[in-house]
Amino acid sequence: MAQQRALPQSKETLLQSYNKRLKDDIKSIMDNFTEIIKTAKIEDETQVSRATQGEQDNYEMHVRAANIVRAGESLMKLVSDLKQFLILNDFPSVNEAIDQRNQQLRALQDECDRKLTALRDEVSIDLYELEEEYYSSSSSLCEANDLPLCEAYWRLDLDSDAADGLTAPLRASPEPSAGPLQAAATTAHSHASGPGPTEHA
Amino acid sequence: MATYSLANERLRALEDIEREIGAILQNAGTVILELSKEKTNERLLDRQAAAFTTSVQHVEAELSAQIRYLTQVATGQPHEGSSYSSRKDCQMALKRVDYARLKLSEVARTCEQMLES
Repeated sequence: MAQQRALPQSKETLLQSYNKRLKDDIKSIMDNFTEIIKTAKIEDETQVSRATQGEQDNYEMHVRAANIVRAGESLMKLVSDLKQFLILNDFPSVNEAIDQRNQQLRALQDECDRKLTALRDEVSIDLYELEEEYYSSSSSLCEANDLPLCEAYWRLDLDSDAADGLTAPLRASPEPSAGPLQAAATTAHSHASGPGPTEHA
Repeated sequence: MATYSLANERLRALEDIEREIGAILQNAGTVILELSKEKTNERLLDRQAAAFTTSVQHVEAELSAQIRYLTQVATGQPHEGSSYSSRKDCQMALKRVDYARLKLSEVARTCEQMLES
C-alpha cells in the first residue's frame, strides 16, 4: 500500500478485523466443502459397521453444511459492514453525492423561479385588464370594502380626523383613465399630504 | 440515501458481491445434491464445482480490493459536508410557487364571484 496514512487506531483495527473475517469465512467455506466431498467417498474398510459409519458421515455432513451456511451469512454481514463504512468514510464519493444533490436542487430552484417570473409577466398583463374592468364597472362604487386597501385605509384615517375640521376631497374611486394602479398610488400620495396640515394645527 | 437516484459504483459492486455469495451457496448445494444421486451427471458436477471455486475466489478478490481501497481513503474524521443550504433554498422556491398558486386561485375565485353576481 503506497499511500498508507496514519489512521486512528480504531479505524486501523476495524479494517484489519474486516480482513481477518474475510479470510476466515472464505477458508471455512472452502475447507468444509472439501471435507464434505471427501466424506462422500464410500470406503470398503470401516472401523465400525457400515450403518454406524453412515450415521456418523451423515451427522458430519450436516454440521459441515451448517458451517458453510454460517460462513456465508458471516460474509453477508461483512459486506453490510463494508457498505456502511463506505457510506460514512469514503469521502470522494460522499463529496460527489453532495455535489450532485446540490446541483439537482439548484436546478429545481432555478426552474421554479424562472417559471414564476414568466407567470408574473403574464399575470401582470391580465391583472391590468381585470383591474381596469373592475374599477370602471358599477360594482366598485358600492362600499368602502370594495376599494383598494390604501383607499380604505386613508378613508378611515380621514374619518377619524374629521373633528379637526379637515375636509380633504374624497374620491369614491380612482380615475379610470389614469389606470388603476397608478391612480391608487396618486390617491395615496394626495391623502398622505392631507394629514400634514392637521399635525401643524 | 435511499431517496437519491445516484447509486455509488462501489455500493453496486458490493451488492453484486452479495448476490454472488448467494450463488456460491447455491452452487455448493447443487454439487452435494448431485453427489447424493445414484447416477451422477459428471459434466454438471464439474461445471458446478468449477463455478463454485471461481465464485469464491472472485468474492475474495473483490472484497480484498474494497478493503484495500478503504484503507487508503478512510480518515478518522467525520464528513461535515451537507446539502442543507441548497435544500432550504429549493424549499423556499417551492413555497413561493405554492403561495403564487394560492393567490391565483383567490383571484380566480373573485373573478367567478364577480361574474355570477
